Amino acid sequence: MEDKTVRDLVIIGAGPAALSAALYTSREDIDTVLYEKGAIGGLAAVTDWVDNYPGFAKGIAGLELADQMRAQAERFGAKIELGEVQKLVIEEDLKKLITTNGDVYAKAVLIATGSEYRKIGVPGEDEYYARGVHYCATCDGAFYRDKKLVVVGGGNSAAQESIFLTKFATHIDMLVRGDKLRASEVLIHELDKHTDKITIHFNTTTDEIKGLDGKVTSVIGTDKIKNQKVTFSTDGVFVFVGLDPNTKFLEGSGVELDERGFVKSDQHLMTKIKGVFVAGDVRSGATLQIASATGEGATAALMIREYLESLERGPLPEPVVGHPQLYD
Amino acid sequence: MPKNITIFTTNTCAYCVMVERFLDMKGLKYEVVNLDEKPELQEEVLKMSGALTVPVTVVTKQDDSKEVVVGYNLPKLAPALA
Repeated sequence: MEDKTVRDLVIIGAGPAALSAALYTSREDIDTVLYEKGAIGGLAAVTDWVDNYPGFAKGIAGLELADQMRAQAERFGAKIELGEVQKLVIEEDLKKLITTNGDVYAKAVLIATGSEYRKIGVPGEDEYYARGVHYCATCDGAFYRDKKLVVVGGGNSAAQESIFLTKFATHIDMLVRGDKLRASEVLIHELDKHTDKITIHFNTTTDEIKGLDGKVTSVIGTDKIKNQKVTFSTDGVFVFVGLDPNTKFLEGSGVELDERGFVKSDQHLMTKIKGVFVAGDVRSGATLQIASATGEGATAALMIREYLESLERGPLPEPVVGHPQLYD
Repeated sequence: MPKNITIFTTNTCAYCVMVERFLDMKGLKYEVVNLDEKPELQEEVLKMSGALTVPVTVVTKQDDSKEVVVGYNLPKLAPALA
């Protein structure tokens, strides 16, 4: 007979939503294990500086914030496994997770895998990956001391990371496809302080990344107003053009995704599958903010506690006004 | 067990922290070289790794052969440490 180790809760991911949930469930003595294939803290950990997370009046480095969240969850007993969940299989009441560290079973699962930076999908992008094309400024920016850079994107990440990269680069050409930035007003004001180093090119697409002898030398784009090709000579390219959800492992699991691949849930953050919950950036409709993610993590933890209790005591008897029936 | 392990990192690199955590978990000792503090070593790291990124982990085996692992890449790092 197969020996099954059954955990109360497996959390897939260890970003802000996951760590908040783990903090709550561990404090409730719910046996909680997290699986993380990338960086603990997720995208928050690779963000240079976080100014909009409450409780830190002067802001906090993303890496430091992530480490504090990790330490807080671990303090109450959450276990973080460094490994990847490759498949989720529903086996009646139990959930089987096939991971790089072996199979694990859980009574409840929280999907908190977040999202990752999207590629542009242009010639040269894959060819020069990590040799001139990058998606993590805090990891790779230091290689561009006194060099020229191109940043692709016009949202919060592109703005924030461009500002960070001014620590190293002599000049940054920011290529923005639209006619305005989609970044927050605060970041736009910050960008205004760096006009000596950052030039923003609106209505400019990124069409090709070119190089010579294994090194990036230029980016070819199109000025959509003049309808003509433009060339930006550069030593490297950092890409921040949006986010894609980490949900490939859910194929065939029965968990419902929206048209962009994010996980659908009900108002209690439960997916279509009983006992499988979702929180944070990977959830369909998420606001992609660290503060929202931690809030959702806490909410999911409370819903999971209710769910686990319902497994022991049976379904809830009657809906209570103002306290909706959680599980039908 | 490797003879020596060196991790090239920077101050803000989250994936470098993950490599350190993995090695700590395995109970392995390692040296950290911070490229923010020693930028003059960047060219050397680039030559070894072929990549403009950190972490770069250099594992020196008992026979003095070296294996270079670029990034936080457990499928490559774990066997390199064996």
